[in-house]
Amino acid sequence: MTSITQSLLAARDVAKRYGPVVALRSADLTVEPGEIHALLGANGAGKSTLVKILSAVIPADAGRISVHGKQANLRKPGDAMRAGIGTVFQDPALIPDLSLQQNLRISKLDRDDVLPWLERMNLGHIDLDLLAADVPLAVLRLLDLARALARDPQLLMLDEITAALTTDQAEYVFELMREWKARGRSVLFISHRLGEVLDSCDRATILRNGVHVAHLDLAGVEESALVTAMLGEELVEKVEAVGDEAAVVTAEEVESRPVVLELRDVHLRDRVNGVSLELHKGEILGLTALEGQGQNELFQVLSGDRRPTSGELRVEGERLNARSPYDAIRSGLAFVPADRHQALLPQRSVRENLSIPLYNRARRWLSLVGDEEQRVEQAVDRLTIDVRAGRQVQRLSGGNQQKVTIGRWLASGFDTLLCFDPTRGIDIQTKAQIYDLLREIAGGGSAVLLYTSELREIPLVCDRVLVMYAGRIVGELPAAAATEEALLTAAHGLNEGTAS
Amino acid sequence: MTALGRETLVSGSQAPWRRWARRHGWTIGVWVLLLALIAYYATLIPRFGAFQVASIVNNGSPLVFLAVAQAIIVIAGGIDLGVGGMLVLTSVTAARLMEGQPLVVGLVVAVAIIFAAGAINAGVGWIINVSKVPDIVITLGSLYFFQGLALAILPNPAGGANEWFRWLFTGSKTGIGSNPWPAIVMITITVTAIGWWLGKTRQGLSLYAVGSNKTAAYLSGLNAARVKVLSYAIGGGFAAMAGLANTAIAGRGNANTVGGNLTLNSVAAIVLGGVALTGGIGSVIAVVPAGLILFFLSPILTAMGVDPNSAQVVQGVLIVLVMMVTGIIEWRRRLRS
Amino acid sequence: MSTTPTTAPVIETDEPTQLQRVARYLVNHPHIVLIGVLIVLIFVTGAIEPNYLSVSGLRNSALFAVPIGVLAAGQTILMLTGGIDLSAAMIATGAAYVAANQSPKGAVIAIVAGLLVGVVAGAANGVGVGVFRVHPIIMTLAMSGILLGLFTSWAQTIFSGSTRMGDFIRTLGGGSIFGRSIPWAVIVWAVLSVFVVYMLRRSGFGRTLYALGDNAVASRLSGLRAWRVLIVAYTLAGLLGAIAGLLLGGRVGAVDLQLANNFLLPSVAAAVIGGTSIFGGVGTYSGTILGALILGVLQSMLTFLGAGQATQQMLYGSIVIGLSWLYTRIAAAQ
Repeated sequence: MTSITQSLLAARDVAKRYGPVVALRSADLTVEPGEIHALLGANGAGKSTLVKILSAVIPADAGRISVHGKQANLRKPGDAMRAGIGTVFQDPALIPDLSLQQNLRISKLDRDDVLPWLERMNLGHIDLDLLAADVPLAVLRLLDLARALARDPQLLMLDEITAALTTDQAEYVFELMREWKARGRSVLFISHRLGEVLDSCDRATILRNGVHVAHLDLAGVEESALVTAMLGEELVEKVEAVGDEAAVVTAEEVESRPVVLELRDVHLRDRVNGVSLELHKGEILGLTALEGQGQNELFQVLSGDRRPTSGELRVEGERLNARSPYDAIRSGLAFVPADRHQALLPQRSVRENLSIPLYNRARRWLSLVGDEEQRVEQAVDRLTIDVRAGRQVQRLSGGNQQKVTIGRWLASGFDTLLCFDPTRGIDIQTKAQIYDLLREIAGGGSAVLLYTSELREIPLVCDRVLVMYAGRIVGELPAAAATEEALLTAAHGLNEGTAS
Repeated sequence: MTALGRETLVSGSQAPWRRWARRHGWTIGVWVLLLALIAYYATLIPRFGAFQVASIVNNGSPLVFLAVAQAIIVIAGGIDLGVGGMLVLTSVTAARLMEGQPLVVGLVVAVAIIFAAGAINAGVGWIINVSKVPDIVITLGSLYFFQGLALAILPNPAGGANEWFRWLFTGSKTGIGSNPWPAIVMITITVTAIGWWLGKTRQGLSLYAVGSNKTAAYLSGLNAARVKVLSYAIGGGFAAMAGLANTAIAGRGNANTVGGNLTLNSVAAIVLGGVALTGGIGSVIAVVPAGLILFFLSPILTAMGVDPNSAQVVQGVLIVLVMMVTGIIEWRRRLRS
Repeated sequence: MSTTPTTAPVIETDEPTQLQRVARYLVNHPHIVLIGVLIVLIFVTGAIEPNYLSVSGLRNSALFAVPIGVLAAGQTILMLTGGIDLSAAMIATGAAYVAANQSPKGAVIAIVAGLLVGVVAGAANGVGVGVFRVHPIIMTLAMSGILLGLFTSWAQTIFSGSTRMGDFIRTLGGGSIFGRSIPWAVIVWAVLSVFVVYMLRRSGFGRTLYALGDNAVASRLSGLRAWRVLIVAYTLAGLLGAIAGLLLGGRVGAVDLQLANNFLLPSVAAAVIGGTSIFGGVGTYSGTILGALILGVLQSMLTFLGAGQATQQMLYGSIVIGLSWLYTRIAAAQ
């Protein structure tokens, strides 16, 4: 792009911090008229923060934003809309208890404004009298898109819009993006799916740790080059080094060991559709899937949070019919959720966080457990938790918080550890430590079921891996064969030959 | 979910009447319950006529207005424990200022009180916004503040109201009579107006939006803080209507009326009226019969030969039961999603 | 689709200034501030009425603080779980009413019958909130109405008769030992305080209360069964309410159905002043004790100033709003 034309959007030195956590250190972003621009970065790199600042949802601490060369003062979402910036956020911005028509009303739009766009997305027949709460998520995302388009923005920002869409729905979005570009308008596109990005975008800005590290022309760029740019050279190597010392057990060896957890044809409404699996003593069984393939619900069933609609769970051969997580925990299943908000007591101390499962039973209510302090100290030592800010867990760093969620079960004891994406959004050292710990746990005779979205790390830590698609297990691979490519093929359901 | 399932859902497979019944079922149910109770009451007592109807509507009107006040605030995502205090405060202020005055002065005072109450309660909403303290703590404070202020204005039951002003709310210059129409007209006009505003205007819908999902409302460009202040202001105005009705019925003001109990009744009425305490769901049209039913329990029990004090017990049990039922419905809905 | 690599957010901390350090220390030790406020209030009251700074002056403040403090123990326990008990005053009244009614049968029966009222009503609250998930405000407000209705009608039927407390309870509520220096009620409160402080700080049940209030989802996933905790918590709060009612009834002597009405808001206010969060998860009973004592001294001060019910109510309302505002500010600044 030449500098003769004036940039549509120019953001310079944008910074934002939440308390001690720096979300954006100093980010630049330039979007030219008539281009589709990708904003890339690892989780926690600051993409969503930047989008929220540009759409004036949150204020920036520092930085300048100009639209068409003019300094823009964006204070509230309405300002950004008026400045010609339309955004489709990661979470639908529709009010669940209002009808779609009423939702349009509060956005000062009419049926006629959005209908042409809905027709383009094969939603022309949609009944606007439905409550938003009754409409599927994918349709809500498309409605959000139609609503943004109806305002005729100069710049359309799409934050992870394709994550919840089916392939054909995503294709409508790409088509509209191309059309928008042809009109001389611009699109800022955010997606984790690098293939999509390479197919549809012209240029990219890459963020790392809240700083822009590259502005790229995407023509002829390889996916691996993008990943390297997102992670940084040395980090990629470090991740690969994690599992080196781990002694991965052979498949035959695992098969010979007793089964500690068995699922037989487990269903949960239309989300989990007949999952059967066996988890052996001393193994780390990996599980992976694209977003929203029923893995969340499967773990809800395993942790006793929800009851399966049919099928059964067996723990050491005994049938487990859990009414609440308490029952699952009593039979030895310990669950570490991905979202730390679901695991931590943010305002309580490390000690209380680590010891809480000890007090699940009323007969321990009258005093504190005698060896509470030793148990807590052991867990802290084993995980090397930094307890300097331990009076309130919310003041710990993300990595230390994640350690607390695992350490809780070390302090109270378990037979099988169910980990849901335990390394999401944490630093590389902690990640390595957690993987080492998981291997240690498996080596000690416990079993681990590990869901992770980080495909390249699966062969490093797991003994074998299952792939889930549309609520079913669609593939099983030994760790050695679990290359990124093989996993991705399975995760897209391509082995079955159907894509519905 | 299969593609087919989505298609049918989005194109609206429900018959229009079923959807209408589903959305307005609670409202219809509460109205039917009220009419059924009145019909039952008519069979219990020897003479049922205009006097009985007038007595129910007139004496029930303060609770109806107070419940509408609470409903508006709760729909917008708040809860105001102070409405009972506001009722007492406006009631004694009206009694004090209107005593011995002609109707015109009384009307001016009434309008002034409604606006002042709206402004004061808007201030409460503003404090909640700025302090970020939960609504219930701040309004627990405002409840007692209003109650104390009422006591300071009128330490002992006293004051009065113009007899035509009393007629306006009770259909009688003495507060007791057989004419229910002025009260019915008063309730119908105000509630229909506010119901229309809530359901049909963009500003009214913004109350539902903020109460339903604050984040999504903000992303849609709505100003949640302003909506909160607005809901508290309108709620304050309706609480003042309740206070004025109270003064008109009693013919004087009594600062020893326990505002907290009135607040309880208003919360009970909206719960019975199908307003979700979590915000964003409910209709003021259903709150009217709910308020009347709660008031009506006591005369029915008396007519049945039961100690009228048990009305309070029945009320309490009824509310808890309604909460359990709605809780279970909500729980099942969440399981299905 | 490709991998979703992650990098960690960066943590940065600034060196605090001297003033910030002092502020942070006080924020972490709110008791020091509360004790300071208490002492200042005592001396201000002494300046208004010099006779106040004597055994009998302070004794009056303490006597007023006792029912608030005991009721507030229940509020603190429930507020820690994210709940509240708006039926506490009515439970206290009901317990006192039953105890007075049963007094002719002897002190033991009277006390047991009174406490039973609290246990039953509290357990019912606990079942409603814990098992049926009724909102605590609604459940306890409804319970308050139910109790008022029941006792109003029972006052003429099964509980018609004595409304005077027996001698033993009157001594407990209003009598003193060591001459006229230390009221029995204060000693009862002190014993209860030791019990409640121990429970919150050093018992497994205390841990569950904080956990539940801080994060209900996390508590459930850690294996806590909320309904069990809540039933016990509300029953305990009911029991404490009943004890408060007996002490108050013993001090007043004759019981009516308005007995404890004026103590509901102060009991919530004491917990709020003491730093217990209405959201749950944060707070101590020692803070609440200081809150109750501050309200007791304030009461004496208002009496000396000749302030009536009106001023008191407005003041309590303002204190609740002002202090909760302040605490929220402090928590946000952290």
